[in-house]
Amino acid sequence: MSVKKLSKESLLNWVDEIISTKKKVYGVQKHKDKTDRFEFAPLDSTADLRLDYDVTVLPPKKYFQPPTETLVAFDLKGGYKAACDTEKFIVIGIHPYDMIAINQMDELFQKDNYDSHYMTRRNNATIIACDVATASKDIFASSMKTATVKKGYDILLTDIGNGYVAEAATKKGQLLLDKAKTEKASDADIKARQAVWENNEKNLNKHPLNCQPSEVSELLEKAYNHPVWEEKAKTCFSCGSCNQVCPTCYCFNVHDDMNWDLKSGDRKRTWDGCLLDGFTKVAPDHEFRAKKSDRFRHRLYRKGKYVPSKIGGQIACVGCGRCIGACLPDIANPVKVYNRLLEDTSAVKK
Amino acid sequence: MNKPRVAVFDFACCEGCQLQIVNLEEQILDLIGAVNVVEWREAMSEQSHEYDIAIIEGSITRPEDEEKLWLIRSRAKILIALGACATLGGINKLKNNFDLNDVKKCVYGKDASKPHLYTELTKAVDEVVEVDYKIHGCPIEAKEFISIIRSLLIGKKPEIPEYPVCVECKAKGNPCLWEYGQLCLGPIIRAGCNARCPSAGHRCYGCRGYINKPNVEAAKDVIEKYGLSVEDLKSKMVLFGSRQDNTL
Repeated sequence: MSVKKLSKESLLNWVDEIISTKKKVYGVQKHKDKTDRFEFAPLDSTADLRLDYDVTVLPPKKYFQPPTETLVAFDLKGGYKAACDTEKFIVIGIHPYDMIAINQMDELFQKDNYDSHYMTRRNNATIIACDVATASKDIFASSMKTATVKKGYDILLTDIGNGYVAEAATKKGQLLLDKAKTEKASDADIKARQAVWENNEKNLNKHPLNCQPSEVSELLEKAYNHPVWEEKAKTCFSCGSCNQVCPTCYCFNVHDDMNWDLKSGDRKRTWDGCLLDGFTKVAPDHEFRAKKSDRFRHRLYRKGKYVPSKIGGQIACVGCGRCIGACLPDIANPVKVYNRLLEDTSAVKK
Repeated sequence: MNKPRVAVFDFACCEGCQLQIVNLEEQILDLIGAVNVVEWREAMSEQSHEYDIAIIEGSITRPEDEEKLWLIRSRAKILIALGACATLGGINKLKNNFDLNDVKKCVYGKDASKPHLYTELTKAVDEVVEVDYKIHGCPIEAKEFISIIRSLLIGKKPEIPEYPVCVECKAKGNPCLWEYGQLCLGPIIRAGCNARCPSAGHRCYGCRGYINKPNVEAAKDVIEKYGLSVEDLKSKMVLFGSRQDNTL
């Protein structure tokens, strides 16, 4: 599929048309309450779209795995009915690191038990990704090799200053892009896009990791009893903010909501978080990760070791830096912990 | 199964939590269809000495209230504390931080010593009798009230969040109010309100009580990081947090 160029004006016209013809369109815009921040929200007007944003408060995972969703409506008098969102939708403005997180979720939600709720939404989505134009204050995507992305999206937009380079990666994306007024991207345009990629791969790096992301798993191999877990967790609120804002945290809790007839109801799932006290509570009130330090360690093992072992070694931290900003006591930064372990293990080697 | 007999009683409070129940609108019919309400001063005139579930609103501030509560406890199979005054002592407990004579003079002036105005230190319901379940908040969340009542009706243990307000606040996509200069109590206060106040731009005031293991060390670190003092934090916690006990 060919690479196109859109002037800034034809991009706006194109988004106008998308908004007027498609039912559900979400896009990055200023946060409705705190206008110095950004969020994904229903896009009512093209003027609200901000492809120059740095990072959104919540990742776009909320469109694929909502904070609360009904899985099944049940009736004790007989039967149950699976609930499922089947509406098609478009998300505009997903950054490469968030796209890679979605790619990882796609793999995970198809493995073992195929998650039809997630996958139905995913298949109904059209994703217009865009390369990062403004680095956020805590981004470290360059370290995690997630500053650019090669798959998962339907269309990728790259701001090259005098317009956007647009590349459709799927048929769905091509059909949508065909509606825009485009010209063929010139060699200079392609070069300019390459320059954006190279710059992002190097410079989206506010917290540099001192090793390759692929080496983290091995690093954690010998770190289970390291003092860093206890030290950091001392000031952990167990508030789960790091989990809630993470694009690769997908754990959920399931509960039943009864109706007033006390016979029928909804089975729902809601976001959960491994840092929360009670996350591992089972019958009869036994809790197998009751210690804060155990929960703190679990999160970083999950990102650096457990999930990578399921998805071909990719580290499950995409370097968006949201957890760093969300953590009040400032202990959540994965790079600080991994670098600390690196220092200590290399000191042992010496 | 016979419908459980429910009685609602109020002590020292504004009765706003009962009002939340009255305000269930069309669902009030479902509620009174699912249970047999035998006494509820705010909504009906009948009274009864026989009930299975007693719902207690308000804090306990007088010796005669304690006696009445003991009696209710002895008659009820399940006793529920409703709202912050009942679960924590609520705003009424502020007075426990001062000399009681000063408090009386401040409130009642020259009538302070009249016998019918006599009160003692404020107590949460569980400081007087055993409480089976607590429905938190100032006022309570109608949705949570419904879910707890339905759970009890099917014999299931109600799910009351053990995690702090931040969980619900983050899920709603709110940026943290600490970043905007507000001393929000969200990280140490029990969730279940769907982050009602932070979502409206106000810090968490702590009406649902502390989580089981609030991290005091972390709180100290954070207030230092934001250039605040322990006194600043304490001054925000005093509204609902005076002499607070375990809240689950």
